[in-house]
Amino acid sequence: MKHLWREISFLLRQRASALAIALLTGLAALSVGLGLQEVARQKAAISEVIALQKTDTAAIKSFASDAGDAAYYRFHPTWDPPAALAFAALGQRDIAPSILRIRALALEGQMHENEAQNPELALPGRFDFAFVLIYLAPLVLIVLFYDLWSGEREAGRLASLQALPKARVRVWLPRIAARFGLVSAVLIVVFWVGALISGAGLGETLAFTALILTLLGFWTLVAILIAKGAGSSPTNAALLATIWFVITLIAPAGSNLVINAATPIPDGAAIMRENREVVHDAWDLDRDATLQRFYKLYPQYATSPPMQRPFEWKWYYAFQHLGDQHVEPLSLAYRAGIAERDARAGLFALALPPIAIQRGLHRIARTDMAAQSAYQDRIRAYHTRLRTYYYPYLFMAKPFTPADFDAAPAFDRPLGENIH
Amino acid sequence: MKRAHLIAWAELALMVRSRVALIGVIALLLLSTIAAATSYTHMAQERLGRVANQTETDALFEAQPARHPHRMVHYGSYVYRPIGTLAGFDPGIDPFSGTTLYLEGHRQNSATISAVRENSSLMRFGQLTPAFVLQTLAPLLLIFLGFSMITRERTRGSLRLLLSSGVTAGDLILGKTLALGSVGLVALAPAWLTLILMAIVMPSEAGAAAMIGLGYGLYVLIWVVGIIAVSALARSGQAALLILIGIWCFMAVLAPRGAAELASRLEPLESRAATDLTIRAELRQLGDSHNPDDPFFAAFKARTLAHYGVSKVEDLPFNFRGAVSAEGEALTSRLFDKHFAELATTQRTQSNIVAYLSIFSPALAVRRVSMAGAGTDLETHLRFLQQSEAHRFAMVQYLNGLHRDRLSLADDAARSKDPQAEQRTRIGANNWAKAPDFVFKPTSAADRLSAAITPILLLALWLVAMVILAGWSGRVLAGRAL
Repeated sequence: MKHLWREISFLLRQRASALAIALLTGLAALSVGLGLQEVARQKAAISEVIALQKTDTAAIKSFASDAGDAAYYRFHPTWDPPAALAFAALGQRDIAPSILRIRALALEGQMHENEAQNPELALPGRFDFAFVLIYLAPLVLIVLFYDLWSGEREAGRLASLQALPKARVRVWLPRIAARFGLVSAVLIVVFWVGALISGAGLGETLAFTALILTLLGFWTLVAILIAKGAGSSPTNAALLATIWFVITLIAPAGSNLVINAATPIPDGAAIMRENREVVHDAWDLDRDATLQRFYKLYPQYATSPPMQRPFEWKWYYAFQHLGDQHVEPLSLAYRAGIAERDARAGLFALALPPIAIQRGLHRIARTDMAAQSAYQDRIRAYHTRLRTYYYPYLFMAKPFTPADFDAAPAFDRPLGENIH
Repeated sequence: MKRAHLIAWAELALMVRSRVALIGVIALLLLSTIAAATSYTHMAQERLGRVANQTETDALFEAQPARHPHRMVHYGSYVYRPIGTLAGFDPGIDPFSGTTLYLEGHRQNSATISAVRENSSLMRFGQLTPAFVLQTLAPLLLIFLGFSMITRERTRGSLRLLLSSGVTAGDLILGKTLALGSVGLVALAPAWLTLILMAIVMPSEAGAAAMIGLGYGLYVLIWVVGIIAVSALARSGQAALLILIGIWCFMAVLAPRGAAELASRLEPLESRAATDLTIRAELRQLGDSHNPDDPFFAAFKARTLAHYGVSKVEDLPFNFRGAVSAEGEALTSRLFDKHFAELATTQRTQSNIVAYLSIFSPALAVRRVSMAGAGTDLETHLRFLQQSEAHRFAMVQYLNGLHRDRLSLADDAARSKDPQAEQRTRIGANNWAKAPDFVFKPTSAADRLSAAITPILLLALWLVAMVILAGWSGRVLAGRAL
């Protein structure tokens, strides 16, 4: 142990090392602070919309006396609150909206709404803890490790150090442990403070911590492997920096090209348009035929009396749903294609540990593609509950009272902390 | 000057002999060629896809059967953001912003379908485009090849020998700069070639292409001169390398994210859902078309009746319902415009904050030149949104005009209950083809040039600073060697 403390104090007395570690600490703390603020902002935005929606709904209630009007005018908020660890890995949350207001009309055209963000700011990516860990921490490790052996050799001390009895235990292991330990400790402590503030669960915090240690362990191994070689200090530094940028910058970008070429997906814009075509064509098709097609899906409403007038809400909602039905295979293929791309990225990640770690962080923080599509699935399920809630009023002439207006199903995701 | 040339040749000969340097240069060339080819092909496909979508959408609109014009208001239309020729060089914001906009009455939708939501998370690590290779990777290669160019002379003791044989420190710095500059030129070559080809394909883009080429030329030169200066000033090759990698990491990796994060915190945007609901609340304040006693629409009715000197809407020479639709659309449109202006102002301020911060990083400055020149910056997207909204309003008001002038009020009022009246409210399909077309007016070449002037000047300033630093480093070098 005393060897370790000696090496730590040596390390901190070197100006470059101390500076690198101090910088990393500062940037990690900054990223955690910014991440916590961002998560708080997202939560506040969700609450704000829910409050604003209440006013809007009250105004609609004052004139929407039948179920058709209510279902047409009333938007229902859905939300995807950030999970406790989202502060550390913000992932896709800047691109995809965390609130989506939907109506009981055809859903396909409503699902793709984008958040009103500035694309120039989304382009470089987020400055979050995951960024500090995946991009910057390895560079700090490289600075600490690259001349561990070559530096001693160039100073003419290597032979005498190696000749020391138990050199491995007394010199090299403490040196490695000091470097790896210091960087890990700094990042983990900063992360834990953030996790504590955001009220993250112990299990997810430990899982996240394990990923931090794995990533730093990987880069420590790579750095030792290169640093122990016969190269000079500058050669080692250049080699390590090259490995870093190939793994962190070039390989992911290249893999993405390969994945996209290998996994074509249907044109999302065409699916939206096809949905509109089918919905609007219904206005000029035989009304009864449309209703019969709907009754095949919902036989419980087949006893509804035939249409008396050119426009009836039940027919309107029937063709809205038939529009979604029509594009469902395409829509499923679209979603499956995106999921497939992400799964293939997982395969590439097997060969690129930092990518695998990044994906793991986003998974634990629930800010990855899977979390996005889980939210979309919840919206779809909620939309089904919503429209089927209105069907008895529309098809069976069940009287629609103000109490029924209020009893429309609400999105049932908890707003608050710790979604597991 | 002759001595500087000799030094440069010697350095280049050394690089060719050192396999590592050669492999590095070849790897970068390969990478930028792949980047240029794939990015160009991808964006060309994207462009064709959007043009095809637009053609298809417009054809569908014109092919709609005889209908009530308000049906067409709800049927609406789609517009797809067009892509300029130079977007293949730097796709910029294109993959990060919605490309498809659904235009319909009463509502302003957001631009949807963006590559970033259709790609795996790998996309956020960066995209292999010529712009990325030049902005991020080329400087790193120059650092590896250049960091020891002068430190090496000192540690080997050849520096004193050179200086005592009549070579000045200035010659040495210039010679090494020429050598590293030639590497920079090689790194630039595929990108410049791509730009030249694009300018040949689309001569109207030649000015913008030249500007992008100039921007990257300055950028690479800044690194070349800076690297040589650091190599001359550093105590050892090791120190030079660490300092340079640190600077690179700050400028090319940290600064872009940091600047974006700072801008988004200083000028936060409201969520889209909140803006939508605010607009609806404001609309209720102004006029509620669902309320028969609403003061706004009551005043509109009174004004219209007075203007035509009649006492009831049935006596008006047109369908009052269509007039109300048009008036309502004008009202909502004003609110959309107002809130869009606020959004655009905030986003422009955000981007300006990043622009100010590019004083600290030439990588940010060259990105601005590149995106502005390629027409893939925020401005292009905002123009698309703004012109789409103008088009939406024109299209809806054209249809509302038909609703007002071509339908009778009695039929219009009875159409939900009376099938004959419903048939009479349908107007001919030939009217749809006469609706206004969407023609996107991209940022003009002159506007793009003027947007790039400030960052170009900034890059020039950086270059001047680096040249001064290099000159000073020469004096320091001479002083240390003696």
